[in-house]
Amino acid sequence: MTQTITIDPVTRLEGHGKITIHLNDQGEVENANFHVTQVRGFERFAQGRPFYEMPSLMARICGICPVSHLIASAKACESIMSVRIPHTAAQLRRMLNLAQTVQSHALSFFYLSSPDLLLGMESDPAARHIFGVVAAKPELGRAGVRLRRFGQHIIELLGNKRIHPGWVVPGGVTEPLASAKRDEILAMIPQAYTDIKLALTAYKHIAESFRPEIEVFANFPSLYLGLINEDETVEFTDGALRLIDAKGEIIEDGITAARFNEVIGEAVEPYSYTKFAYYKPLGYPAGSYRVGPLARLNIAKTMGTPLADWELGQFKQLAIGPVESSFYYHHARLIDILYGIEKIEEILSDPRILDTHVRATAGVNRLEGSGQAEAPRGTLNHHYKVDENGLITWANLVIATGQNNNAMNVGVLQAAKHYIKAGKFTEGILNRVEAVVRTFDPCLSCSTHALGQMPLVLTLLNADGEQVDQVVR
Amino acid sequence: MTESATRCLILACGNTLREDDGVGPWLAAWAQERFLSDPSVRVLSRQQWTPELSEEIAAADSVLFIDCAIDADPGSVHLTSVEPGDESPALATHHLGPAQLLSLSQELYGSLPTSALQLTIGAASIDLREGFSPAVNAALPDARASLELAVVRLLTPTPNQ
Repeated sequence: MTQTITIDPVTRLEGHGKITIHLNDQGEVENANFHVTQVRGFERFAQGRPFYEMPSLMARICGICPVSHLIASAKACESIMSVRIPHTAAQLRRMLNLAQTVQSHALSFFYLSSPDLLLGMESDPAARHIFGVVAAKPELGRAGVRLRRFGQHIIELLGNKRIHPGWVVPGGVTEPLASAKRDEILAMIPQAYTDIKLALTAYKHIAESFRPEIEVFANFPSLYLGLINEDETVEFTDGALRLIDAKGEIIEDGITAARFNEVIGEAVEPYSYTKFAYYKPLGYPAGSYRVGPLARLNIAKTMGTPLADWELGQFKQLAIGPVESSFYYHHARLIDILYGIEKIEEILSDPRILDTHVRATAGVNRLEGSGQAEAPRGTLNHHYKVDENGLITWANLVIATGQNNNAMNVGVLQAAKHYIKAGKFTEGILNRVEAVVRTFDPCLSCSTHALGQMPLVLTLLNADGEQVDQVVR
Repeated sequence: MTESATRCLILACGNTLREDDGVGPWLAAWAQERFLSDPSVRVLSRQQWTPELSEEIAAADSVLFIDCAIDADPGSVHLTSVEPGDESPALATHHLGPAQLLSLSQELYGSLPTSALQLTIGAASIDLREGFSPAVNAALPDARASLELAVVRLLTPTPNQ
């Protein structure tokens, strides 16, 4: 008889998700789905609010990457205002976004994924958590805690709050950087270098022992999307998007925030509240793509900072063309952290960073605006329409997790088919299926921002495709 | 022993938008004022207690955790000692309890405060609103007095110190 395996909840994720694996009469995997089962509603309840409230409202979507929402939202507002923000404000925002990337990646790598990587996929699940890592590898545990604190403390120094800082506003930032804060951040940099180098060394030491996982953890050719500068260095806050194909060839370049919805569409599947982004000319699902650390490194020709550039060179040697296995998101995440530390140091070394002109002002000069940025887990686009009074009439947010949604589902199916044979599986096997999702570090609270897209319907089918049971809510 | 800068760390937890859950931050704000002139008392208020706080805890001589309790009688005030421990570690990525934080401080930094106390105030409601329930409002004087007493206890050297 057919059987359904449910992993609910999927643990060590940002938010709540569920995986369903369908087995046929022979116990072989026929299908698998990663479900996002929560619903939020931000796009709907933003309607009627003044546009200048949007950054603070939208940041509440997420407690892990509120800065990316702040920045993408502020940029959408600046498009409505038709202003260019001061150079120093742009650099301060860049630093804030990188600090968030460092803390979010530290959380993902050390707290959520390192228990699998350092203790083993088959290790005792009762000890497979951050406490287990700390007990087994205290130096690495300390490094992870310090790196998260490094990023969070910079956010707190700049925005006066660790979570949901209100410092980023349409037009720039609310206050300039004080020299004492600059010096405090610079004083933290040497330890941050020590910690990330330790993590990179530890990761490289163990990565090859995961060769079987590398082969089946969402390891398939796909498109990749990410921000890049004109000089082909990686970018997190400005620049424009580039889309490359599975061979690494550019298929769409210079995608500004305003052009985003010309080239990117969103599909809906009946099993998830998260939408599925795709490249319009190829349609859905052929136009599905990946975003985030792996995509950024596959797209960038150079990081633009010396240590991260050396690491990028090593990373590029993993494959001819784009690195395809999503297992390497872990590796790319650590290189992102190294880049973030270097770039923060570079930004703070520019004397103009203390300039006091950090905000431009204007009213409503356009009735529509878009903004984009790289969140830690990938590209983020905010698109708003306003009336002549600046009240929001429509909003759409395309979130990184939605852009990785198809890849996560393909990856879950790939791993489930590989590991589950004749209906037999162990806890370690199910943990591997979950670990595929963890490589993407999805943020599920970010991804389900629309209300009324679909009802949640749970359907149980037998091997003949006949409906056995259904629950609708 | 080496004197650390913080002789008493007050660590509050809660969300002021969730009714009685906000009592921790409220007491932290009160403590900030009350001990403003004493540099050996440090007050931190967070919506969640995360692993990064273990460094602050390891560096303090003593720590007072403050939080609401949803499993206690509404408005009841309890002051108890805390020991390092392991409460549901599998879920310990975004929020830790006092015992876990102490345990993590010991594991990561090989250091623990000499004394650790926990002050809890029983919550009647943690609904989405600001302000407190009548039970918690009525308990605020007791909670302040217990907080003050706890800090005095924690700042008083024990015979071994």
